[in-house]
Amino acid sequence: MILEMKNIKKHFGDHEVLRDISLSVDKGEVVSVIGPSGSGKSTLLRCATFLETIDGGEISYMGDCAVKTKPDGEVSYVDAKDLRRFRNYYGLVFQQFNLFPHYSILKNLTDAPIHVQGRGKEQAEQTAMELLDKMGIADKAEAYPYQLSGGQQQRVAIARALAMNPEILFFDEPTSALDPELTGEVLKVIRQLADSHMTMVVVTHEMPFAKAVSNRVIFMADGVIVEQGDPAQVFDDPQEERTKQFLRVFER
Amino acid sequence: MTLSTMLTTMSVGMLRSFAVFMLTLLGSLPLGMVVALLKKSRFGVVRALINAYISVIRGTPLMLQLLVWYFGPFYLFGMNIGNWRFPALIFGFVVNYAAYFAEIYRGGIESIPVGQYEAAEVLGYTRTQTFMRIVLPQVVKRIMPSVTNEVITLVKDTSLAFTLAYQEVFSLAKQISAAQTSFMPFLIAGIFYFVANYLVEFVMARIEKSMDYYK
Repeated sequence: MILEMKNIKKHFGDHEVLRDISLSVDKGEVVSVIGPSGSGKSTLLRCATFLETIDGGEISYMGDCAVKTKPDGEVSYVDAKDLRRFRNYYGLVFQQFNLFPHYSILKNLTDAPIHVQGRGKEQAEQTAMELLDKMGIADKAEAYPYQLSGGQQQRVAIARALAMNPEILFFDEPTSALDPELTGEVLKVIRQLADSHMTMVVVTHEMPFAKAVSNRVIFMADGVIVEQGDPAQVFDDPQEERTKQFLRVFER
Repeated sequence: MTLSTMLTTMSVGMLRSFAVFMLTLLGSLPLGMVVALLKKSRFGVVRALINAYISVIRGTPLMLQLLVWYFGPFYLFGMNIGNWRFPALIFGFVVNYAAYFAEIYRGGIESIPVGQYEAAEVLGYTRTQTFMRIVLPQVVKRIMPSVTNEVITLVKDTSLAFTLAYQEVFSLAKQISAAQTSFMPFLIAGIFYFVANYLVEFVMARIEKSMDYYK
């Protein structure tokens, strides 16, 4: 098991965003998370990547526990130094790319491997160039983020996450900030990663993509997992009324 | 008094003005960063103290502050202030300009999108690394125009050193003008300030241009 989230609870003020959600991801699995906005999909990823702290539950990577909740309800995270160790397990691709604008594309991919993971410059650059090549943007290595289209920037962001050699990659609506004609090139890259058995959790609104690429689809609404399973089953034969209602919107 | 004697006499004042300028920058540029970071401290007491400091410094004339720093130790503690004139002058300038630079830095730091911090955090950068490698370089680029403004103001503010009877170029100009009944010293002082600021603009434009490679 690469990721194990158990009984995750999270609220913002009075609003319960996640109500007792559990999610496990096996090696090589591609999990799509779909659902209406405000259903807690992004918050789930942000909790998994420790960008948000949980109010209850347990999160482990590779059997290594990062946060747990004691019987009295007290949530205890490992300390900040240990938490950074967990960052090696995963990568996150943001909706807004969040590339570092003052670094060249190559440096965006090598800076963290060199200064966080302590890898050699030459090796980091070689890995980076291989990744850029896979993403079809090796010719942009010396360019700066502002010189690239949104689709190219998002591919760089994916490469930057992969450069850290993570066990699992999270995508938070990776195509939502892109013009429609640019989503294809990003989805294609994610599909290639799926084909090479990269473990991934993708929060997305691209239903055909979710159906075609994932091994498992999770439908979330109002902070709970309403339904999950094989994409063919969830999309073509949903069991829950809430799921049917949501999918009908996309059929039109 | 010939023009060349006048120039020679005044050039000493120019050097003294320049000394105030350089020492103030060397002290206040880094101190401003410390103040800006302390203003974001998690301790409420620290934040309140910093806010009070910035408020008082910005709300009172620099001239008054210089007098307080110089005479304060004598009136408050009866200390001998014989050798305190120049240190008090520089101290007053540094403390004053640090407050302004701190606010410029703070504005710059707060303008960096939260996504930059989150991307750095997920990649495993420490807080210090995030600040030094990701945030600070972008802040420097964004605040350059405001810093240039402040540095230009400083060039002209050095004339306030006359308050503590420090013989910088402007007080010399006044003295010579009165003694020689000549308008020339003022003209020379004016040209000095203008040329100095022209150089500041030139240097700052070069620095801004060197950061033009990204947006």
